[in-house]
Amino acid sequence: MDDKQLVRLAQDGSPEAFEELVRKYQSKVFSMAMSFIRNKEAADDAAQEVFLKVYLALPKFHGKSEFGTWLYRIAVNHVKDVLRKQGRAKEVPLDDVREPSTTDENVLEKNVTARQAEDRKAVVQGFVQGLPEKYRTIVTLRDIQGLPYDEISRVLYLSPGTVDSRLHRARRMLRKKLTPYLSQEGGPHAL
Amino acid sequence: MRCKKAETMILRSLDGRLDGRAAGDLEEHLRTCASCRKAEAEYRTMVSLLKTGKEEAPLPRFWERLEPRLKEEQKLVPLVLWERWALHAVPVFVAIVVLAAGLFVFTPQTRELSQSEALLLGNANPFSETRRLFEANRPEDKSMMLIFASLDEKPAVRSQRP
Repeated sequence: MDDKQLVRLAQDGSPEAFEELVRKYQSKVFSMAMSFIRNKEAADDAAQEVFLKVYLALPKFHGKSEFGTWLYRIAVNHVKDVLRKQGRAKEVPLDDVREPSTTDENVLEKNVTARQAEDRKAVVQGFVQGLPEKYRTIVTLRDIQGLPYDEISRVLYLSPGTVDSRLHRARRMLRKKLTPYLSQEGGPHAL
Repeated sequence: MRCKKAETMILRSLDGRLDGRAAGDLEEHLRTCASCRKAEAEYRTMVSLLKTGKEEAPLPRFWERLEPRLKEEQKLVPLVLWERWALHAVPVFVAIVVLAAGLFVFTPQTRELSQSEALLLGNANPFSETRRLFEANRPEDKSMMLIFASLDEKPAVRSQRP
């Protein structure tokens, strides 16, 4: 059964249809929440909240966009709210992206020594959290979640051109901060 | 090609958004520019480290934990159903109001005919009664006649007006 049929059935009060939608999208929503929040319990709780919101908003969904896009939009907005409440989504001036703290550097050194791919990813993704919200969102959706451009454009209500320029700017900022750790020649912080 | 343009092209190439000709131009630039080659390598490493590559599963029994919360929310279902009903009812209500307004505007109205109109309609002279009033010589008589005429209630005559 496709999403449209499941949504129609769920709107008519079928719990089975809604369960199927949840089972189909729970990993996508959780992964997205995890990319932003980076804490399993908090991301899981956020994913549950997202589906509660979706359940309550389902009667108002008229199918103007794909269900997945609509769900993602709710998820992104909810996760941003969660981060704002946690005070982690505070805007940072464009040229003032967070430098890694001593603790970060220690963690980084430890991870470099361990050479564990997952840890390296976690460290690099940690730098994403230091980006201003709009750049962090776009890098998370594109580079971490791997959403296509047009999907990001629909989820964030941005033109493809804005997605393009914002993503490029975000990657430039990120690279600037990561340069000491991206060195191919094996510098002190090479990943 | 300038390095700034090359960087934009590198960023595009990361998403496979570079056409054949532009890709050729970039390749040629990279062959001669060491700093852009370094930038490209760094961007590629960065993007590959950012990619998770797989979807992560939520904590176990996701649906089983969600279901009771949904049931809790179902207490609000009457409200949700009412909202759905209201959503459909609003256009119907608006249509009824518009229809009623249209009927009110376009339906021929009945109104009371004046005394003169009633007399004219009955093929009678509307001035016969007032003539005596005009013919009275004394102003006091005229005033008294006017007062009595105004007190004289006559039944209204209803008629359809096209």
